[in-house]
Amino acid sequence: MVVLGIDTSGYTNAIGVVDGEKMLAGRSFDAKTDSLEQIVDNIDTVLKSAGLALQNIQGIGVGLGPGSWTGIRVGVTVGKMLAFSLGKPVGGVSTLETLAYRARNETSQICAVIHAGTGSNVYAAFYLPDDEGVVITGDYFYGDIRELLAKINESAVLVGQGTESYLQLYEGVLTSPVKAIEAAPDGAVVALLAGRRLEKGDSDDTLALTPLYLKESTARAFVNKYGASG
Amino acid sequence: MLVLGIETSCDETSAALVTDGQTILSNVIATQLDLLRKYGGVVPEVAARRHTELIGYVIKQALDNAGKTLDDVEAVAVTARQGLIGCLLVGVAAAKSISYSRKLPLIGLHHIEGHIYANRLSNPGMPFPHACLTVSGGHTMLLYVADGNRYELLGTTLDDAAGEAFDKIAKFLGLDFPGGPVIDKLSKEGNATAYHFPRPMLRNKTYDFSFSGLKTSVINMFKDKVAAGKKLPLADIAASFQEAVVNVLVAKTLRAAETKGVSTVSVTGGVSANSRLRSAFEDACKTRGIDVYFPALSLCTDNAAMIAAAGHARLMRGEVSDLRLNVVPNSPLEG
Repeated sequence: MVVLGIDTSGYTNAIGVVDGEKMLAGRSFDAKTDSLEQIVDNIDTVLKSAGLALQNIQGIGVGLGPGSWTGIRVGVTVGKMLAFSLGKPVGGVSTLETLAYRARNETSQICAVIHAGTGSNVYAAFYLPDDEGVVITGDYFYGDIRELLAKINESAVLVGQGTESYLQLYEGVLTSPVKAIEAAPDGAVVALLAGRRLEKGDSDDTLALTPLYLKESTARAFVNKYGASG
Repeated sequence: MLVLGIETSCDETSAALVTDGQTILSNVIATQLDLLRKYGGVVPEVAARRHTELIGYVIKQALDNAGKTLDDVEAVAVTARQGLIGCLLVGVAAAKSISYSRKLPLIGLHHIEGHIYANRLSNPGMPFPHACLTVSGGHTMLLYVADGNRYELLGTTLDDAAGEAFDKIAKFLGLDFPGGPVIDKLSKEGNATAYHFPRPMLRNKTYDFSFSGLKTSVINMFKDKVAAGKKLPLADIAASFQEAVVNVLVAKTLRAAETKGVSTVSVTGGVSANSRLRSAFEDACKTRGIDVYFPALSLCTDNAAMIAAAGHARLMRGEVSDLRLNVVPNSPLEG
């Protein structure tokens, strides 16, 4: 199954295309504030370098985040509207899972981590490698990186962007050996993981696809705590 | 020529199908009134999330209501300029995806140009040139419209938009959201001359507006009387406040029309649904021999039909956007 993968949740945006387990092409581009401006050009470039036309795509995979809220909305909206327009199935994948997948050959537990924009807060989740890839082993985490690192009580790999810096900065809170693996979102991995689901007929409701924010907006948090206005 | 219009610049998720820039086949508008009531206004992140949830459904509904599919659509027009950046982005991302996958022309538009075309949708015979007042919760602008696509900005608000002042006063008086329709309704039971509030910048030679001081004046008066233990007739306050806003809007628009030597006035935007604004314009224009036009009530507030109509006009002139189209939150009205 030829699947296009899109992930615009991070500092670098990623587009990739796979045919089954085979990665055909992929590229990343610096997102900054212009994911929206660059996304179609990059999809087009990736497809061309794989010798494909958009009409050859049989399914679409979307990295749902967590990450930049504005960024994710670009990829999720483009992913679902391309799927709708082309009449092809769409599968959303947690960006944390796509990062953890990059550490699937490790034998220890895997902690995938994504910087949450400001300060030392991160989004994270723990995974274990299995025959096919990785399996999540608990709930998603949103909070301070030190709190996350302190939770690690057996040997682990920390995978994501800036993991080496995290370990250097917060070495003091570690109680177990932790190895850093640098990994940015990868469009081909998004496509591969989504494609596995789509091949089993396990697609998402196209129009209902929404980002995995993992954190409510500040306004919603305020209202939930103090009550609605008026 | 069937154009799909998409509008997500503020808190309405809208998609529409319009043929030849004139016939509305569908105009689906999903409002965020529940969120507005909860938060007392538009919260950009909350609105952007809602747009992302709704955009696909709204586009599908617009196609279904028109009895069309994407196979029938010949161009995609979308609001790309002026509005909340995170909200604009959702509509543009959707429009680009459809344009790219269907190889359809893409037209990125300024939101205000849509409001100008809303009145042309309702009044196809509305002549050029004319003076156009476009007034809503997000903007208050006075324009000289030379023809279908050449505009000159005469004046704009220096602080709050007129509709924003309605919302803030309504909120302060403990009324429902949005404030415009509520104050309009309540004012019908009140005396518009009960209180004399300032008419900001009425005598100023420019065509600019300011509503922040008026709002403060209303709020201070209200606080003083309440502090003195007096109970206030809300309807009189609402009517007097509304009259002050209407006075300024009408006077400046008519002065612009006379200075520019045009005999036609177009009033658009959410506040153009206000019944007192309409009657005041009609009365003042009649005595001066000026024709005044308003959009149908359904086309006053943000909607995608007006975007489809404006997009059709640009497409007919060969003006299209490329797939690198980006959003611009603050942008002058081009053309």
